[in-house]
Amino acid sequence: MFKNRALTRTLIPLAAFAFVLSACSSPGATSAPSAASAAPSQAAPSDGASAAPSNGGGAGAEDPALIAAAQAEGTLTTIALPHDWCNYGETIETFKSKYQLDINELDPNAGSGDEIEAIKANKDNPGPQAPDVIDVGLSFGPSAKEEGLLAPYKVATWDTIPDDAKDSEGYWWGDYYGVLSFEVNTAVVANVPQDWADLLKPEYKGQVALAGDPRTSNQAIQSVYAAALANGGSLDDPQPGLDFFKELNEAGNLLPGIATAATVAAGETPITIRWTYNALSNRDTTAASGGPAIEVVVPSSGRFAGVYVQGISAFAPHPNAAKLWQEFLYSDEGQNIWLKGYCHPIRYENLVETNAVPAEQLAKLPDVEGAVFPSLDQLNAASELITENWDAEVGLNIQ
Amino acid sequence: MTAPSTSIDGRAPGALEAVPRAATARRPRRSFGNPIAWLIFILGALYFIVPLVGTFFHSIRTRPDIFLAYRQVLDDPKFFGGLAYSFTVGVITIVVSLLIIVPTAYWVRLRVPRLRPVVEFVTLMPFVIPPVVLVFGLIRVYSSRPLVLTATDLGSDMILVGAYVILSFPYMYRAVDTGLAAIDVRSLTEAAQSLGSGWARILWRVIFPNLRTSLLSGAFLTLAIVIGEYTIANFLARTDAFGPYLSLLGRNQPYTPAAVSLISFGLTWLAMIAIAFLGRGARGRVQVAGAR
Amino acid sequence: MASAAQPLEQGAPAARPARRRFGWAWLGLLPFFVFSIAFMFLPATWLVLGSFRNSDDQVTLQNYADLSTGIIPGAFLTTIEVSLVTAVGGGLFGLLLAYSVILGGLPRILRTALMTFSGVASNFAGVPLALAFTFTLGQLGFLTVILRDLGFDPYQSGFRLTSKLGVELVYMYFQFPLMVLIIAPALDGLRREWREAAENMGASPRQYWQHVALPILTPSILGAMILLFGNAFGAQATAFQLTGGTLNLVPIVIGAQIRGDVLHNPGLGYAMAMGMVAIMGVSIGLYTILQRRAERWLRS
Repeated sequence: MFKNRALTRTLIPLAAFAFVLSACSSPGATSAPSAASAAPSQAAPSDGASAAPSNGGGAGAEDPALIAAAQAEGTLTTIALPHDWCNYGETIETFKSKYQLDINELDPNAGSGDEIEAIKANKDNPGPQAPDVIDVGLSFGPSAKEEGLLAPYKVATWDTIPDDAKDSEGYWWGDYYGVLSFEVNTAVVANVPQDWADLLKPEYKGQVALAGDPRTSNQAIQSVYAAALANGGSLDDPQPGLDFFKELNEAGNLLPGIATAATVAAGETPITIRWTYNALSNRDTTAASGGPAIEVVVPSSGRFAGVYVQGISAFAPHPNAAKLWQEFLYSDEGQNIWLKGYCHPIRYENLVETNAVPAEQLAKLPDVEGAVFPSLDQLNAASELITENWDAEVGLNIQ
Repeated sequence: MTAPSTSIDGRAPGALEAVPRAATARRPRRSFGNPIAWLIFILGALYFIVPLVGTFFHSIRTRPDIFLAYRQVLDDPKFFGGLAYSFTVGVITIVVSLLIIVPTAYWVRLRVPRLRPVVEFVTLMPFVIPPVVLVFGLIRVYSSRPLVLTATDLGSDMILVGAYVILSFPYMYRAVDTGLAAIDVRSLTEAAQSLGSGWARILWRVIFPNLRTSLLSGAFLTLAIVIGEYTIANFLARTDAFGPYLSLLGRNQPYTPAAVSLISFGLTWLAMIAIAFLGRGARGRVQVAGAR
Repeated sequence: MASAAQPLEQGAPAARPARRRFGWAWLGLLPFFVFSIAFMFLPATWLVLGSFRNSDDQVTLQNYADLSTGIIPGAFLTTIEVSLVTAVGGGLFGLLLAYSVILGGLPRILRTALMTFSGVASNFAGVPLALAFTFTLGQLGFLTVILRDLGFDPYQSGFRLTSKLGVELVYMYFQFPLMVLIIAPALDGLRREWREAAENMGASPRQYWQHVALPILTPSILGAMILLFGNAFGAQATAFQLTGGTLNLVPIVIGAQIRGDVLHNPGLGYAMAMGMVAIMGVSIGLYTILQRRAERWLRS
């Protein structure tokens, strides 16, 4: 009993002391001093005060000044990068070992909304919670730029990025694309569907699923958009996509619920609609575990390509590491790592022209001939239509 | 042995001992147990175990090595590191939460019953605030001067513990409140005061020991929350914690997540059993009013 | 149980010196309130402020007006229904489970096993739980296959794991254990002497339960049920994985507004969260009324 009083008497002041100590410790005490990069105070966006020029072509992934500046910062904070999405796992490991930098990975499963919110919430924060770079859906690029959340930067290979996939002022730029495909568990589905119309067949009753919620997930919304293309619609007219899914649901072929690699392998959602790169990556991991054989089918009509975009946070605590990361991603090496993950990197045409892609990699890529890309306006309009009308029209509302 | 406060019809003390035990003989206490109780227990056990069996069957579908998923998990040093970190954070959370909740629940019961709905409302608030909103709010509050906690590891850990304590409030408060309802708080307090105890001693020597079951329940619930939580740990960049480790594992592995959930289920269960045995320590409820 | 000399609820205990007036007693709750403010209310101010802003960052009440449009009222009703069903259903069976190991005469080790298991199971929610049930009772789940081999196909009879009923069934996985853990101390507090006294007066077990044990337990059961209600009310990951958002639960719709890959209106999400706060407040109010009634006879 006497011990307890004494213990309490010492613990409480100790705890208070620790609290005050950590609060008063200077910010940035744990990260390497950024004097070398002459980084401004936390609140100001990163600008051209760093070693690398930020207008016109960037410094490139081998520029020693940029590398030194990044190494002075010591670490990069990323967000929403699952390791099996476009082979980001290899990208991260290669970046770390090549430049001797640490990468602090925040939530890999974050959605684009979370990434934007993370930038906003961490405006004054120099700590590891503030993301330096983001990878978001196409619509979020312009909106983040409007809200002043992005810092402009043009990588060395800027000119080889197609114009309609980047912001002219350099605030955001496309990174990779894929096409919506069917991931089919051939152990459960003997007769593999080849096109959107096939999905309506009665033999696929209770077998078709989406990889997300069409009201919130890019992948799912664009699945509906893609179905429109095959169902008599166009990039300006996504309504047939809703009609298609309504028909699919009424036929009893559409399953509610989110399909994951596990549910496909278990046969619960044997036909799942996903990006080619995710489907192919799932195929490989399932095969490596000795699971059922998965076939990835790019539908013969209705090939829809979706782009994601990169950006640097205007409040990045490590602006030079962020720039180096972008330079690395857009170097031939970085683009090829994405390609290994079955993603079509944004500089794909340029890479093929300059023979920068190993032949066996090229052979593994799915055939996406004829895929169409929506413009930003078309995408926004379609997303609005689909998210607002999904409940009412497809009527999957269960009781 | 006096027991006037517990007899229903106010019989003289000692009368109960004189009554022959014939009335209770037909249902002996310590032997095989009530068949209805067995039925309920078995039904419950089936309901709990069958889904776990389903998960297990899925996790061993790997070929040729049916335990491939388990090997991958157990070979990963980050698995145990993450579990250890989260366990430590969990223990700290439990201690802080107990130190706040027990005196609060006690005080509410004893002195300010009018504020009870207010306190209960506050303890239920963690259910309605989405964790994403909470963590970004915490970052906003504690990343600007004067209190920049997010910049340091210790500071971020403190925010993490603070957030987890908040998440534990509903469960801890309810467990402690139920326990307090079962003991006669007023009489215990009066008796202790009449023997000269101050508030701290009453809480520590009288109330805490009588709340063993509640405290264990609260501890279990809190530990489970801390080990399983990942949104807050992720956005606070506590990448050493178990939750973030799980989310890095990838949503799109076919068999490993099933193995991971079973292994972490098992290990957490073992941790709870360890806590239960620790809590078994000094037996004996202190009862001032009422016979044992 | 209360003795004849029990002081009234509102007054200070008799043994306390009179220098402390009732008005200052709430200061004892200060640590609790300060902590709640520091780590919950302060961060939540953005939620409150955000509910008054639209996507163009202007101050507006439109979000609150929008609460009565579209799928939102239905979402609130569904969420309340699911939470109520799982609170009451989970509460009742959880009570029975707790009874079975504490008062049912089962071996002591089963009590430890159930309590510790409940600790883990109470937080086994979200994607792992949804998948566990999918692997078991999904279209190709192992239990479904067994049942089919035995001649009974649940899916023919219309069972769907992805229905509201299916979600409620899955929610029970963490509601039962929560009830067990919370109600255990109350069951422990049922003194053997009360049972013996009742039997002495000729009461059957049913009468004992009906007239002695359940009335004593009711306040605690109510308290546990409100916790179960809140627990289910805020839950979303499990239902989301199972139903992909086709079951409109308020936390799922909030998540869609705040977190998704599509540009939405976070202000609306925050307003919905405030709606949840209001519902919690009303629930606490109702619960307090019921509680006062249940406790009244204990005090007299």
